[in-house]
Amino acid sequence: MQNKLSFNQSLVSLEIIGLPDYSNNENKDQISIISQWKLTIVDKPLIEGKIEHLWPIMNAFYIYSNLLIKNEIPIYESKLIDIKAENLYIHNIVLKSSKPNVKPLILKIGNSLLSDTLNCFDQLNESPKVKIKKTDVPNNISKKIRFGLISKNKFLNFIMPPFIAIFSLILFSSTFIYFYNPVDDKEKNELINQE
Amino acid sequence: MRKSYVTNNIKLNEFDALIRITVEMSKYLYPYIREILKSKEDVEENSVIWNDFNKRFIELIKERFNLDSIRVKKLLNQTENDEIIIKSLLILSFCISNQGYQKLKNFLFDF
Repeated sequence: MQNKLSFNQSLVSLEIIGLPDYSNNENKDQISIISQWKLTIVDKPLIEGKIEHLWPIMNAFYIYSNLLIKNEIPIYESKLIDIKAENLYIHNIVLKSSKPNVKPLILKIGNSLLSDTLNCFDQLNESPKVKIKKTDVPNNISKKIRFGLISKNKFLNFIMPPFIAIFSLILFSSTFIYFYNPVDDKEKNELINQE
Repeated sequence: MRKSYVTNNIKLNEFDALIRITVEMSKYLYPYIREILKSKEDVEENSVIWNDFNKRFIELIKERFNLDSIRVKKLLNQTENDEIIIKSLLILSFCISNQGYQKLKNFLFDF
């Protein structure tokens, strides 16, 4: 008999079905070996996929939500899922099937459903009853955004030290110019020559 | 930004406490936050909720913030403040989990 756990938030529900890992002395109600997962969003088609797809999809939502808050045009693209903002309120999700000749599933969700979905994922992440294998997901954030995220700091780190050095050099040398009086220097030289 | 004549820097423990209060309030107010976000998705159907919220938001800003500040003026400008309000509501709605305190802290440091 398989265990079934549901995580609900308003109009979104995430269902996890699986078994405990008895070889690891786990409790009966634990789920470590996930056999099936379903993400139900009211008025939208059911989302389900392979076990190894759950974490990349969750990760995509987390990365996208971070980009949404930090950038003006957030885009997440991967082999499995694309998430793009249509505007500030609507997000387009494209779920690509790993099977050939299967059309991708296109969903449009608003901010309310996006936050419901993320909260379901949070509940799953925090649940002591489910263990998910968090595989490494290749960084598929579009180059434009990556440039925006990383290069800003790199560029500043690169340009700031020489800029500060040149500026301090100018500042110091200008103060010496202020104290230096060429007339005094000429008089001194003349006195030395007379001697 | 606040209408205050005393410039006190917030202490770290006060900052932490404020974040904890905000997270707890967001958990409690999530259904309302969600409805406000939803009202902006289909403005024709639910424009009343968004308009009421925006009106109250502006009232509170005028009451408690320093109106001479440029950043406050930006908050009051209805064409510009949509993005700020939506992003602030989204941050609150993303932080209602048990780890919401840490999430909100991270969002604020990156904002």
